[in-house]
Amino acid sequence: MKISAFSKSYGSRTVLHVPDLELPDGRITAVIGPNGSGKSTLAKILAGIECSDQKRSPLTALSVGYMPQKSYAFRMSVARNLALNGSDLERREKLLHGLQIDSLSRHSAKRLSGGETARMALARLLMRDYKLLILDEPTASMDVESTLAAERLLSDYCRDTGAGILLVTHSLQQARRIAQHVLFLHQGELREQGEASRLLSSPETEELRRFLEFYGI
Amino acid sequence: MGTAIQKAIALIFSSDPELLNILSTTAQLCLTSSVLALLIGLPVGIALGAGRFPGRGVLVVLNRTLMGMPPVVCGLLFYMLFSGVGPFRHLKLLFTVKLMIIAQVVLITPIVIGNMETYVAEIAPSLRETALGLGFGWGKRFLLLVNECVYSIFSVYLLAFARAIAEVGAVSMVGGAIAWKTNVMTTAIMQYTNRGNFTLGIALGLILMLLSLAVNIAVSLMQRRLSR
Repeated sequence: MKISAFSKSYGSRTVLHVPDLELPDGRITAVIGPNGSGKSTLAKILAGIECSDQKRSPLTALSVGYMPQKSYAFRMSVARNLALNGSDLERREKLLHGLQIDSLSRHSAKRLSGGETARMALARLLMRDYKLLILDEPTASMDVESTLAAERLLSDYCRDTGAGILLVTHSLQQARRIAQHVLFLHQGELREQGEASRLLSSPETEELRRFLEFYGI
Repeated sequence: MGTAIQKAIALIFSSDPELLNILSTTAQLCLTSSVLALLIGLPVGIALGAGRFPGRGVLVVLNRTLMGMPPVVCGLLFYMLFSGVGPFRHLKLLFTVKLMIIAQVVLITPIVIGNMETYVAEIAPSLRETALGLGFGWGKRFLLLVNECVYSIFSVYLLAFARAIAEVGAVSMVGGAIAWKTNVMTTAIMQYTNRGNFTLGIALGLILMLLSLAVNIAVSLMQRRLSR
């Protein structure tokens, strides 16, 4: 999955600059970096939510699914929210069960808690087969049990559909658990990328080494 | 005061023909103008709240200015346009219910637009991001946005109706408060009070409040039914 180089500026300030890069198919790529490093902007541009300075999509035509940091619960039941994105009942039941929200399927999605809304939003996104999933901190508001359940479902999705997943995360433990590939952003620049096991254990740049030290890795 | 209220209540149940005429004129004026304002204002308010186009900010400021337009100024404007020296005099609409409706639509529509714009602008960015992320097209996104606005549509309608039923400045100027023709509850209350006929004034005031209460209850029941 090729991404052509792009940048994003607000006025004269360039907040993100990404060179040509390739994302591995059927694998999970974690995007890590400190606050303000451009992770969410990268996710939004790749998902087509925001425009890059080049005014064209950095991804060549493929179906992309995107889950924003704060997902919207449409004013209808949880089950109907999922049905908006696919009619496969068996798949719906499996996802609701996998994310432990099957008992909430008839509830109004507006009345869910933050963590439940995030689980519902993830289940809704996984109702369809995309070539690339872009997830912006999907488990930030989930408890540990739900986070692990979500990670299992994401790994299964990758394996079953062959889709790539770009996972923006603040949790290095999460990146270690499920990602095979890592992109490290610092001050809007892609400073390092590679196999997760190598990159998280022996960083090449000073910025990543300091970042990992800060998180106690 | 107590006697006047007793007489007013008796008048309400007496089917007084003049009272019934004032009631039907008021109902025609308020229902028509509030529904028309809603039909015009809803799509414009949604477009202003959810749209991203050049000039949007100017339109929002312009609409907010119109929201504060004093009814007598609106009445004066329509009076000048449709009176014997105005450019639309040949339409012969001055002192008719039709012109009262038009003047009220002009007064109420900015309120509908402003309230819808504020509500939609609050939810649209998050809804758009989620819906685009799921790969939904323009049509589906628009329908979902309308679905999210159902409750606020009811609230906005209530606001429009309340403004219509309580309005007196514009309708008295363009309607002239002519008995059996353009007299509505608010203008009639002023007229009868000026003449010292407090009984009819109080009766109309009571009906006005009851009517407002009835509309509020009806809309609340519809909202509750929709939320199930």
